[in-house]
This record gives sequence, C-alpha cells and structure tokens, in this order.
Amino acid sequence: MTSLSYSLREAFTNISRNGLVVVGAVLAVFVSLTLTFGTLVIGEVVRVNTLQWSEDVRVSAYLRDDVSPSGITELQAEMESWEEVDEVFFMSKAASLSEARILLANRPAALRVIEDDPSIVPASLRIKPVDAADYQTIVTRAEAMPGTLRVESAGEVIDGMISLRDGLQIMSLFLAVALGAAAVALIANTIHMAIYSRREEIEIMNLVGASNWFVRTPFLLEGAIEGFIGAGLAVAVVVAGLRVAGNQLTDLPEWINIQIQSDYLLQTGVLVLIFGVVAGLVGSGLSLAVHKYLKT
Amino acid sequence: MLRLENVTKIYDGGVVAVKDVALDINKGEFVFLVGPSGSGKSTLIRLMMREELPTNGEIWIAGKHASALSPWKVPQLRRSIGTVFQDFKLLPSKTVYENVAFAMEVTGKSRSAINTQVPQVLKLVGLSAMADRYPRSLSGGEQQRVSMARAFVNRPLILLADEPTGNLDPATSVGIMRILDRINRTGTTVVMATHDHAIVDAMRRRVVQLERGRVMRDESRGVYGGSGTVDEPERPEEHDVTDDDGTMNPATAETVIEEGTNEAADAAEALEAAGEREDA
Repeated sequence: MTSLSYSLREAFTNISRNGLVVVGAVLAVFVSLTLTFGTLVIGEVVRVNTLQWSEDVRVSAYLRDDVSPSGITELQAEMESWEEVDEVFFMSKAASLSEARILLANRPAALRVIEDDPSIVPASLRIKPVDAADYQTIVTRAEAMPGTLRVESAGEVIDGMISLRDGLQIMSLFLAVALGAAAVALIANTIHMAIYSRREEIEIMNLVGASNWFVRTPFLLEGAIEGFIGAGLAVAVVVAGLRVAGNQLTDLPEWINIQIQSDYLLQTGVLVLIFGVVAGLVGSGLSLAVHKYLKT
Repeated sequence: MLRLENVTKIYDGGVVAVKDVALDINKGEFVFLVGPSGSGKSTLIRLMMREELPTNGEIWIAGKHASALSPWKVPQLRRSIGTVFQDFKLLPSKTVYENVAFAMEVTGKSRSAINTQVPQVLKLVGLSAMADRYPRSLSGGEQQRVSMARAFVNRPLILLADEPTGNLDPATSVGIMRILDRINRTGTTVVMATHDHAIVDAMRRRVVQLERGRVMRDESRGVYGGSGTVDEPERPEEHDVTDDDGTMNPATAETVIEEGTNEAADAAEALEAAGEREDA
C-alpha cells in the first residue's frame, strides 16, 4: 500500500521533471492511436452502410414471396449463366431480417415496420458482377426476370465508400504502425531520462537492498500513465469528431447512416486505452531492460 | 559472518584484481583491509557486498552463499550489509534526516519504525542538531557521518567501509573512526578498506594486507606496515582498477583515537540496550 502510493508519487515526479519529453511521447501515442481508432471507427461506419454490398455484391434482386424454393434455385442458376455475372448468393428471409435490423438500427420508424411484420422482408439473390462497372446491365436483365420484386444496385456512392475504406485502412495501418513504434521508442526515451536523472537514488536503493520491483515500479507506472493519457486523448478526439460529424453532415442521403452503435465505440475505446497502457509498459520495459543503472 | 574461499576476480580485459584470497571474518570482528592503490581492496569490498561476482572461488555473506545467489535475492542479502564510501553518496535534494530515512523507506519499513530509528541513529553519529540541513551545507566529515547513519539505520549484520576517511582530514577521520568503533561495539562486523596508516596503527585491530590482489599478511592486532613490510610498494599501474587516490597521511601517525563524546557514547549504549536488530 505504502509502496504503491510511493511508486505513484515517484512516477508523477518523474513526469513533471521531464515535461517536454513526456509531452512528445504522449503526443506520439495520441496521434498513433487517433489514427488507429479513427480508422476503425470509419471502417465500422462503412461496414454498417455497406453490409449488403460485402463480398463484392453490387446488385440485390429481391424475390416475391410466391417463388418456390425450386424456382429460386432455377433463377439463381439462370443468373449465374449470364456472362457479366461472377457469382450469385441466396439470402433467405431470416438472414435478410437480421441484416435489416442492423441497417435500420438508427431509423426507429422503419425498424418498427419490419418488427411489426417481419414477413415483409423479402428473400433475395445477391449478385457479384465480373466487373463492378457492369452492374447496370445486370439490373436491367434481373428486373426482366419473373419472380423478382425489385432490384437494387450499389451505385457509385457505395463503390466510392468501399474503395475509400480500403485505401484508408491500408494507409492508416501503415501510419499507425510506424507512429506506434515511434511512440514506444519515445516512451522508452522518457523512461531512460527518468532513470538517468535518478541514478543516484537508484544506486543507493540497490545498496541498501530495495527490491527490484520497488526500484522498477515507478518507471513502469510512468510509462503506463503516459500511454494511458495519449490513448485517452485519442479516444476523446475520435468520439468528439464522430459527434461533430453527426451534427454537421446533415445533408447526407437518408440511407447513409453515420451513427454507429455505442457498444462498438465503448468496446473499441476500451481496447485502445488498454493498447496505450501496454505500449507504455513495453516502452518502459525496454528501457528498464537495457539500462546499466538497473543491472543486478 | 564473511567467508571467502580461494576467491579470484579477473575483470574484462584480463586485469587480475584479486587472486586466490581466502578470508574468514567472524561476527563482531573489526577488520582493516590495507594495501596500496590497486592492491584489490575495493574489489574485495565489492565482492563482499555482492556488487561483483568472483571469477573463481566461493563467498558466504551473513550465512548466505553469495557467489551462488540468484540475482533477485540480492536485495534481501543487501539488507544485512551496510556500506560507506569515500564519496558519501548522499542525495543532495534530501535533508540529513531524509537521507537516512530513505534507506528505511525503500526497504519497506513502517513510518513508525522510521520515526523512532532515524533520530536514534542521528544521535549516535552526533548529528541530531543537523537533521534538517542539506548535505551541501555540511562539512565532509559531517556528510560522512550522515552516510554512516544511513548505512547503520537498518541495523546490518555487516558494515563495509571503502576508504571512509579518504576525503577527510586527520582530525575529522578520528571522529569517523570513533563512530565505526561504536557501531562495531553493538556487535556489527566491520570491514574497512583504507590506506591511512595512522588510523590502522592507532586502532590495533585485525589487519589484512593486500598486495597485487593477494593476502600478504593477516594479523589479529596489527599495524599498517606490519613486520618488515613498512614501505608501500610501487604503484602497479597495470593493476590499478580502483579509484584510490593513493595519498597517505604519515604526518598524522601520532594521532590517537580518543574516547568518544558523551553524546555518541550514550547513543551507542542505548542501541546496545535496545538490542533490537532488524531481521536479516
């Protein structure tokens, strides 16, 4: 107990002594994790909005309820024989219902309609074109088929969103990894300086028999605190950014849903905080492992 | 209390600092390690506090097989050893009281233990009045007394002193030796490396003389020069692995260790009477 409060006190003393270096390390954690968390959140927004267009599906043919299972199989085989079609997946009424629940999560009125009568959600055939640009031909041919209720295509907006997400994810992943490594190195550097500025105390602690953990804990805590602050800032900025975007982007098409479920935000946010703390511990651990004043 | 069996220490680069030393020091003994710079005194002290491991041979410290002790058990061993150095090693940002208390805080002693022990030890070294001063405002002798208080405050079984009077003038050194003597009288084993003739000759305690890393002489009530080997040997540069400055104080040979001050004597008696030694 005394030892924990001692370690915390010493950790904060170290942080206040090396202000600028600590700010640099915290900023690196912050930028790295903002990119990571931001990318995850944008990826989630895109995923929610493109749920029905995953697996490269670009055309959905909704089926009338009176088409028999064998009729559906025939229709699926027919469509797969078209030269502009790569693959056709069948989506049952039950699967379509759970998808609709996610898609309409933030539109209570629409959700209430399907909850009142789930049977109105139709089954569908999901069509993957050979070339995404060919979707218009497929739409025209599918609409002409008996048994189709309505045909929807992803359109250019969805295409744009998906390619944006893919590009963003690759770039952000690269930046986040590079900056994450820099953050760990910068934390290691602050701990290195903290150890150096306390070398006399450490020497005396070793002489009088302070336990290894007693000597090291303040430095580990310092790294963890720096990582936590950086991660906390990242979470705060991304959540705030999402709020602002939700309030500002009011002229988006109705079917684009910028709100994502708070469960996802909470879970990912906690993961990001843990990641920040772990990065801090790794940084200080690295520094402690190599420092000559701490050899036993 | 301290036992070295055929201990050899060779540093990186092949410098032989200690060669084939066998030494047995009993509980409560006061032992001087003497010899010229580079003779291996400091290395021996570092081996005795397990700051170094021997290249060959075995070392037992306070009943523990130190040369085979795993690194994570070293802190526990260190709690039974007090150390005093030529350069005091005080923390400039802490007061006298805080410097002494530090040794108890970092070994997990309770606040109440600290509040009773620190004033007692400061009284023993005669610094009660200076508890709130900072090291930079103290004389060298006073700083060394703070460092001795810190070394002794956890009641170690063994006190190792490496040239504790090396930076001090003869008159001040007498005061330091008086305190070491007090500490020894509480039953603490004291090993002191020095090349101060006057002190060794005046104290008349066990003398272990080292030369080029070997024990040349081991007398139970010896003097510095011993029989026949009064002259200090030429300083062997290739063996110079210590920080010793090589100075001696032959002019002070007549200095006699006087009786302790009343204050220090009272404190020592109080400590002896209390008889409470922290569990090693």
